[in-house]
Amino acid sequence: MSLRAKSLKPFALIAPAVLLLGVFLVLPYINIVIMSLRNPGNGTPYAPGFTLGNYLRLFADSFYLEQTANTLMIGFITTFVCLVLGFPVAWQLAKTQMRFRGLAYGLVLSPLLVGIVIRSYGWTILLGNNGMINRTLISFGLIDRPLGLMYNSFGIVIALVHVFLPFMILPLMSALQGIDPSIEAAARSLGAGRITAFRRIVLPLAMPGIQAGCILVFVLSLSAYVTPSLIGGLRVKTMAVSVVDALIDTFQWPFGSAMALMLSLTGAMMVMLFARLTRMKWKAN
Amino acid sequence: MSRHLLTGYCLMIYAFLLLPILVVVGASFNAGAFLTFPPQGLSFRWYVVFFHNEVFLSAIKTSLWVAAVSTVISSIIGTMAAIFYVQHAGRWKESIRLAMLLPLLLPEVLTAISLLFFVYSIGMGTRTIAAMIIGHCLITLPFVFINVSAAMESYDPSWSLAAKSLGAGPLTRFRRIMLPLIKPGVIGGCLFAFIISFDTFTISFMLKNVGTATLPIQLYDYLRTNFTPEAAAVSTVSIVLTLFVVVLSEKVLGLRIHRF
Repeated sequence: MSLRAKSLKPFALIAPAVLLLGVFLVLPYINIVIMSLRNPGNGTPYAPGFTLGNYLRLFADSFYLEQTANTLMIGFITTFVCLVLGFPVAWQLAKTQMRFRGLAYGLVLSPLLVGIVIRSYGWTILLGNNGMINRTLISFGLIDRPLGLMYNSFGIVIALVHVFLPFMILPLMSALQGIDPSIEAAARSLGAGRITAFRRIVLPLAMPGIQAGCILVFVLSLSAYVTPSLIGGLRVKTMAVSVVDALIDTFQWPFGSAMALMLSLTGAMMVMLFARLTRMKWKAN
Repeated sequence: MSRHLLTGYCLMIYAFLLLPILVVVGASFNAGAFLTFPPQGLSFRWYVVFFHNEVFLSAIKTSLWVAAVSTVISSIIGTMAAIFYVQHAGRWKESIRLAMLLPLLLPEVLTAISLLFFVYSIGMGTRTIAAMIIGHCLITLPFVFINVSAAMESYDPSWSLAAKSLGAGPLTRFRRIMLPLIKPGVIGGCLFAFIISFDTFTISFMLKNVGTATLPIQLYDYLRTNFTPEAAAVSTVSIVLTLFVVVLSEKVLGLRIHRF
């Protein structure tokens, strides 16, 4: 028995996970970088030989540049709206005593239990030309013709805010919970007004939560596929939707890979920039 | 005063979060032939249509099957990794944590695409459902790891040592001592893995093989061309199934979830 115990080295415990992640996550990522440098194929997904042409094509075509700008804009607005809408909720969950805290927490988590296709579908029912919002407004005589709520960036942002709001509230909540209430009380007793105490004490201490929430929501909204595809329809396409089109519908594997990598790199660069800017700002304070 | 303002505001946000889900459930009882809300008369007619629709029924079966298999695989692999992480990792602890969370940190759409190319390049392709199950294991693994390692933190290694000195082998020690004590974490992890696998879209969409779709894919395909309330009925059944799994696990097994 002791012999068997000795032969069961602890490394055996981590080996399956390393194998799974190494073979099916790390190798595929290396592979997709190589794929993005392949020559586009004619009738086949790709041809032999390597080129930088796929990346150059992205920069040369104003269509893709505009699309990238639009996707980034949708990501920024979604993140900002989530932060503004989510902060008070996170504050209430973290700071105030209430009877229904468990229920409120459950309500914040509940959308996560419902698949993303279903949640986006709910928004198409609400926002469509024949949808609930337009019908209600028309029946009250407030508008004559349906407002264009869907098939544009506006609709995509509303649905994305809904889908990702929990991912903003949860990190904010845990950051706010970690702030010792006596620090804020001390600032107030030293003569700081409510707003000053909030700006100089609470916000800087909540910064890790704000950063985590913003990064999470921004990255998720850049790579979201289902929601922009169902709400945007054929008229507005985000980069993630175009990437999937290029790969699945037209079989342009090298170009699709280059586009997917550009999307991820752009997102990563924005995140680094954001982290650096916010850190500098709060250090200066 | 400002407190009531805050409460009122928060209630509005909760309503916003629930609204699209309530609309879907409400629309599923529509008696009319078109999707309208509020519904024109109440009926179960679209549920009847759905229960006669082979395509959706087989999609539910596929979803349940894929979720069950990938939950079993990722719960075993993830639990082993979590035990290693807490008890043996030493100075590698932070790197292992990062590696295990990698599937969560990378964009799912990129992971799905790269896995698709990879399974083709090794000649495996998507002829079978294996590629999809591997994808589901990848994205559910972090949730098992987070939950089990949180439970492991409160496990005292001296309990294992005590059992060892009394003559218990490694498997007995795991089965009789460690597993019962970390059970809530393991169950929480399995539950999350199952729900995430059941509802995930992008990975399944990329790695599906011809003729087998999971429920979210089938629903998405349907929504692109059809506007009948049948999709609402299908969605409602899916929501009820998810809720059923959650409630059942809480009642029967006792629940403790660490998502972040």
